[in-house]
Amino acid sequence: MPELTLDRITKHFKNKIAVDNVSLCLKEGIYGFLGANGAGKTTLLRMICGVLKPTAGEIRYDGAEIGRLDGDYRCMLGYLPQDFGYYPDFSARRYLEYLAACKAIPRELARDKVQEMLRLTGLEADQRAKIKTFSGGMIRRLGIAQALLNDPEILILDEPTSGLDPKERIRFRNIISSLSKGRIIILSTHIVSDVEFIADKILLMKQGRIESQGAVGEITRDIEGRVWEYLADQEEALRMNDIFAVSNLKNEGEKVRLRIVSDACPREGAVPVHPGLEDVYLYHFEEVSEHVDNLERRAL
Amino acid sequence: MTSHIPKDDEWRFPLDERRKVQSLAVIRREALKKRIRHYPAFPEHIWNQLRFRPLDQWLTQGGVLIAAMLLALWLRRENTGSLNSVTACSVFLVFAGNICLNHAARLFSWHMAELEQTLYLNLKQLICIRMLEAGIADLIILALFLGITGHNNTMGIGVTLLYMLVPFLWSDTLYLHMLVHIRSTSYGFRSFALGLLCGILALFPVLWAPAYEPENLIIWQILAFAGLSVLIAEIYSILTKIERGDHICLN
Repeated sequence: MPELTLDRITKHFKNKIAVDNVSLCLKEGIYGFLGANGAGKTTLLRMICGVLKPTAGEIRYDGAEIGRLDGDYRCMLGYLPQDFGYYPDFSARRYLEYLAACKAIPRELARDKVQEMLRLTGLEADQRAKIKTFSGGMIRRLGIAQALLNDPEILILDEPTSGLDPKERIRFRNIISSLSKGRIIILSTHIVSDVEFIADKILLMKQGRIESQGAVGEITRDIEGRVWEYLADQEEALRMNDIFAVSNLKNEGEKVRLRIVSDACPREGAVPVHPGLEDVYLYHFEEVSEHVDNLERRAL
Repeated sequence: MTSHIPKDDEWRFPLDERRKVQSLAVIRREALKKRIRHYPAFPEHIWNQLRFRPLDQWLTQGGVLIAAMLLALWLRRENTGSLNSVTACSVFLVFAGNICLNHAARLFSWHMAELEQTLYLNLKQLICIRMLEAGIADLIILALFLGITGHNNTMGIGVTLLYMLVPFLWSDTLYLHMLVHIRSTSYGFRSFALGLLCGILALFPVLWAPAYEPENLIIWQILAFAGLSVLIAEIYSILTKIERGDHICLN
């Protein structure tokens, strides 16, 4: 069973702290890193992949520092970067064959593996087409295919579903779910639905730190009693939308049903409801307290 | 008393076939879980990089070589003097070198560097292999050009090498620096323009007549030493940046 340990990982870029003293122990399963842009997710993933060197701390795989494992560690790694690189003059097949060669996959096995991945990602029919003719979604699928080529024990996907349509996104989720056995899968995203249904553990990152972590049920339990629903008229709904962190707004005839994330009851008549992962995200990244402060200041 | 010597079969314990099948099944299951890792040999790495070199680079390289050889042979037939052949070959060597280097610097284009750094053969190893390939190709081309210009050459091999290598060294260093540091998504046109620009630099001695005077040989020697030092520093700088990682992620 693979085990990846992050021991007090810190990364500085000149004066900016991108990742601040993060310690984690990742075992088999799917881990969803959620956070706003600039939260430090990509930097942390790049350090796990060995692209960036931590300023302080150590990353270990099964007890051995990843720098010492060198090629043996990278053999177990599948990575889809946020800015996925490809040679536009290569065909999809040639591109995957090139990466298979760089991943030290034997040539005779690589041929089958490339076909398997093209089939899995639905690119089989376009395997001879040059990548420069591909749509954004196809390029993303190619990225997923290359990450899976070497049957990795650690799969790291940074914003894997950006550019995918809803059908492709569901297909991607199903692929990832089916691969989770015996692997560590790390998904970084700011799209909550990407991880809500498949992640075994959610890690919320904010300003380089892990703000909160746990299974979806545990993490939503933390904000139990802080999510409200309120039926307001159109004008009031607009005003409340400015003041509170509103996770959903739905027209119901003349009225508007608001889903509000707030420490205190936002308005008389508001009813507490069961929180979802989007509410948790909003709670941590929309600065609810600020809204409550505003609320108090404006003395509604 | 007669002693009974057991036959081979009698030494064996009776096998429990059912348990044997069960044990073998367990071993088979465990063996399937094991990863058999392939560690390619160095020549395999070299071949793998060569076979993914784009066709247009092979064709351009071939075109430059043929053009250089034809021009040198024509100059020889015209009896224009060995210096003219050396000068022409030095310019072609620069272009041939830049084409070889293009394949190495391609690793930094199209946002590929970050991904390549996470592969078994990481970016540092890939760049070393491709630089080695470029170096070997340059040596072969240089040997070819030396062979072509050798006829009636009164300058001697050392001076000929110097006249050919100095423009090559400086142009290569500048081209490498530009390709790595001014990398972007517009790979083709920009690198072609840069290659051309660096090649034109090699024409400088051709345009400055006293450059090939024997008293200026010391300048060539100083330039050769300085060029080699700058090239080594440039390669070291690239490898250090790859090691730190920060600059790779900014492509």
